[in-house]
Amino acid sequence: MNFSQHLPALIVVVPLLFAFVMPLLARWRKQWCVPVTLGAIIFSFAAALQMAFQVMSTGPFSYYMGDWPPPWGIELGIDYLAAFAALTINGVGLLIIWFGSKDLLHELKPEVLGWYYTLYLLLMASMVGIVITNDIFNMFVFLEICAIASCGIISIKESRDCIEAAFKYLVLSVLGSGAFLLAVALLYMVTGHLNFTFMAEALPEAMVLYPNNLLVAMGLLVVGLGVKAALFPLHVWLPDAHSSAPSPSSAVLSALVIKVYAVAMIRLLYLVFPRELLGIAPVMEMILWMSTLAIIIGSMFAIVQDDIKKMLAYSSIAQIGYVFLGVGLMSESALVGGILHIFNHATMKSMLFLAAGAFIYGTGARKLSELKGIGHTMPIPTIAFCIGAFSMVGIPITSGFISKWYLALGALDVGRPFFTAVILISSLLNGIYYLPIVVNAFFSKPEEAVPAPKQLPREMLVPLALLSFGVILFGVYPSLILGIVYRAAQLLLGL
Amino acid sequence: MSITEIVLRLHANSYYFFAILLFIIGFHTMLTHNNLIKKVIGMNIMDMAIFLFFVAIGYVRGGRSPILEPGVNHAFINPLPSALILTGIVVAVSVTAYALSLIIKLYKHYGTIDAEEIMRIRGGGSL
Repeated sequence: MNFSQHLPALIVVVPLLFAFVMPLLARWRKQWCVPVTLGAIIFSFAAALQMAFQVMSTGPFSYYMGDWPPPWGIELGIDYLAAFAALTINGVGLLIIWFGSKDLLHELKPEVLGWYYTLYLLLMASMVGIVITNDIFNMFVFLEICAIASCGIISIKESRDCIEAAFKYLVLSVLGSGAFLLAVALLYMVTGHLNFTFMAEALPEAMVLYPNNLLVAMGLLVVGLGVKAALFPLHVWLPDAHSSAPSPSSAVLSALVIKVYAVAMIRLLYLVFPRELLGIAPVMEMILWMSTLAIIIGSMFAIVQDDIKKMLAYSSIAQIGYVFLGVGLMSESALVGGILHIFNHATMKSMLFLAAGAFIYGTGARKLSELKGIGHTMPIPTIAFCIGAFSMVGIPITSGFISKWYLALGALDVGRPFFTAVILISSLLNGIYYLPIVVNAFFSKPEEAVPAPKQLPREMLVPLALLSFGVILFGVYPSLILGIVYRAAQLLLGL
Repeated sequence: MSITEIVLRLHANSYYFFAILLFIIGFHTMLTHNNLIKKVIGMNIMDMAIFLFFVAIGYVRGGRSPILEPGVNHAFINPLPSALILTGIVVAVSVTAYALSLIIKLYKHYGTIDAEEIMRIRGGGSL
């Protein structure tokens, strides 16, 4: 029994433990809150890195909680997808909260700052839990923790809009969790197992005996997780929730939280449900069309927005469509593109939200029309915003290009060039709403004289710089991360 | 299928039947009422319906609580769903508490707990 053997459990337990230490620290030693939070997430990041190396060198492995083997105990299964998602969550989450340590000071009341770190650590722990667990009820528990924590980081800023958005999000999240739990009940009824592996073994037989049970369960899972992942037409809560929240919350919600549900859905649809069931009900076809609508309509809504954060929120609806497009096409390249887009969108969308947060911090401007000429007064956030915008459009040497490329190839592989056209059209639409901001930021003058913006502290500039460096790095050398993504896709498709 | 057969089948599956009925009542309450507290009540009814459904899966007709005694051979109910649902109830309670506290804040900001009224004050959007 050595230490590194327990990393799959510790990666969840350590942030969970520090989440509950945080309120005490906030009372007793206020200045320790930030370093301790960063320390806990750095630990999780290191653990995720170690797990990813282990998975790449020796293959997927599992961890039995309390040494109880499944089907009795809870199993954590670390496969390629789980290691990849855990790495993404902790890496991006670390940079966001590092930025947030200064940004939150002006957005929140000082007495709730400690609680913010509690909620943030809870959110990190539950997200990692969702992606690495191999037990469906355990997943439900993490889903609920994640739902409450993500509503919490919105409503902690006690403005009217935030409370209202958080309430709407909470009601729809609970609806989604209810659908998920009902699906768990239906699956447990016919298989007698809660462990993914055992369920997958029992389902082909159960499918013959009780096909209706399984179809209803699958429908409930897709709807339940779809509401939480903001898959179009279930996205109604997202624009308000993501735009009214404090900037670090918006960044983590848009970049990570909605992706985690997509990862959960990928694992359930590909690894648990038998492939023949997908033949009976056209679930994948439905996901394809929903994601196509999401991509087109999300972008169209984004074009007409005037508030920068609202525009980014609508753009997230379109971008989650790409991930689901990769899931629905069921070809290797498309799935690689979809999974890769989870990481790429996490880096670029968090960067865009943080850059928007930096503009709000510096000048207080939220309207796109107030951002004219911002490139001269706040160069570093504007350059980061530009790189993010180029990556969203999918211009080569940025990482957004790579995932779109794989998605387009995947659509051609299965002989459906229509979806390649959808990707091209949506790139144009992305260009329509991102590029004018970039052009205006550098080449136009503000209408009236504006006071010089506040100087950004180093804690806010370094994460922005690191994220933009990451977007370029993974755009130029995608092979750094493609290895694990390829193996994840092959494992999911059973190649 | 004759009426008697349908009734007999419903009787044999009455737990599931009533769970689904409760689910529909809760869902309907949640969607159609403007009063936010009623929405939360509907949410709870819906949760309870799911819990009833889940616990009913583990029930064995004529079964006893699963306490093993030497020499006694009985049918036992499946304890696992009940144990899981304890967790589910805890989650539902905390979500309810959080939702109600949000409603208090909304009341402080708007002076009403009616969703339509809030929408009108805010001008556009929906809750």
